[in-house]
Amino acid sequence: MIGEFEYLLLATAAGLGEKAYGAAIREEIEATTGRRCSIGAMYTTIERLETKGLVRTWMGETTPERGGRAKRMVEVTPTGLQAARDFYNAVMRVSQNASWATAPDRSSL
Amino acid sequence: MTNLAWSVIELSSRLLEANEREAVLGDLAESRDTPWQSILGILGLALRRQLLLWKHWRPWLASFGLALPCSLLLMGFSLSISQAYQRILNATIFHGTSITLGPGVALLLSNLVLLLVWSWTGGFVMGSLSRRTVRVSIFLSFLPCVFCLARFRVESLSRFCMLLFLLPAAWGLYRGLRIAQIRLRSAILLALTITFLTIPTWTHKGSWIPNWALSWPAWYLVATAVATSVSKERNRWRTSSSFR
Repeated sequence: MIGEFEYLLLATAAGLGEKAYGAAIREEIEATTGRRCSIGAMYTTIERLETKGLVRTWMGETTPERGGRAKRMVEVTPTGLQAARDFYNAVMRVSQNASWATAPDRSSL
Repeated sequence: MTNLAWSVIELSSRLLEANEREAVLGDLAESRDTPWQSILGILGLALRRQLLLWKHWRPWLASFGLALPCSLLLMGFSLSISQAYQRILNATIFHGTSITLGPGVALLLSNLVLLLVWSWTGGFVMGSLSRRTVRVSIFLSFLPCVFCLARFRVESLSRFCMLLFLLPAAWGLYRGLRIAQIRLRSAILLALTITFLTIPTWTHKGSWIPNWALSWPAWYLVATAVATSVSKERNRWRTSSSFR
């Protein structure tokens, strides 16, 4: 089973689709979770996921705002999608009877 | 971001591999990170990468099983060769009337060849065992050298005599980083040469430890060459049997 940060990365990359690359994934994780995502943690996790066959990466296009440097594009593989789905289902199952899952979230009201 | 800050970031990014450096610098150019955060991010990534490499046995063997002990032993061996050379030189030039080749010269020459081969194979295996941690291995092999150069003083000999092994070791390291493996025949020849040249020391008590410590890289090269040729043979056999 994948870890929490691995899931975050897979979910974000899957959500971004063809626009998934280092900076975009990092920005999205920081915006969604409100937590800082270090470059070190992100790239080592991407590499670990790639070794496990859960994502595929390649060097993409260059853009002027990046100083003409290439992006490292990320794509979630079918195995990665299945791993993320398994993690999500496990979290949903395990949270079924938890108080925060049954009661409405007052902080969002 | 100022030019100076960006230069420092680019400098620290040299710790990363080319492709990763490109992606990371691009990401940082896009991000709103401060220069300090960017530098810390790069250093953190470089540190994580290094730590991940040390999960395998190869860097440990290259650094603590080879670089550190072998440089210490080779330094001692370099010193003993230098002293033997000086003794022979004194005997022939100052006391003798003509240059004669005694048994000491033959032993000196054999030890000199042994030093060259030990240093070369040690450097080669150090480079081929773990390329990505080679900087740590180099640092560890220099550690005893710096310590001994600073601490020990040898009468009538330059302290740099202890470093005779450095040049062949550096050449071996360079080759090891480039080609990683040598052919089986060359590996066997190297290992047999080393074993043959260590024969005179077999009668000395306690010399088997340094002998083994310095000779195992040659036999390691034989083992890796055998493994490669066996796997090549298997692949050839599989390919030929799949065509039948």
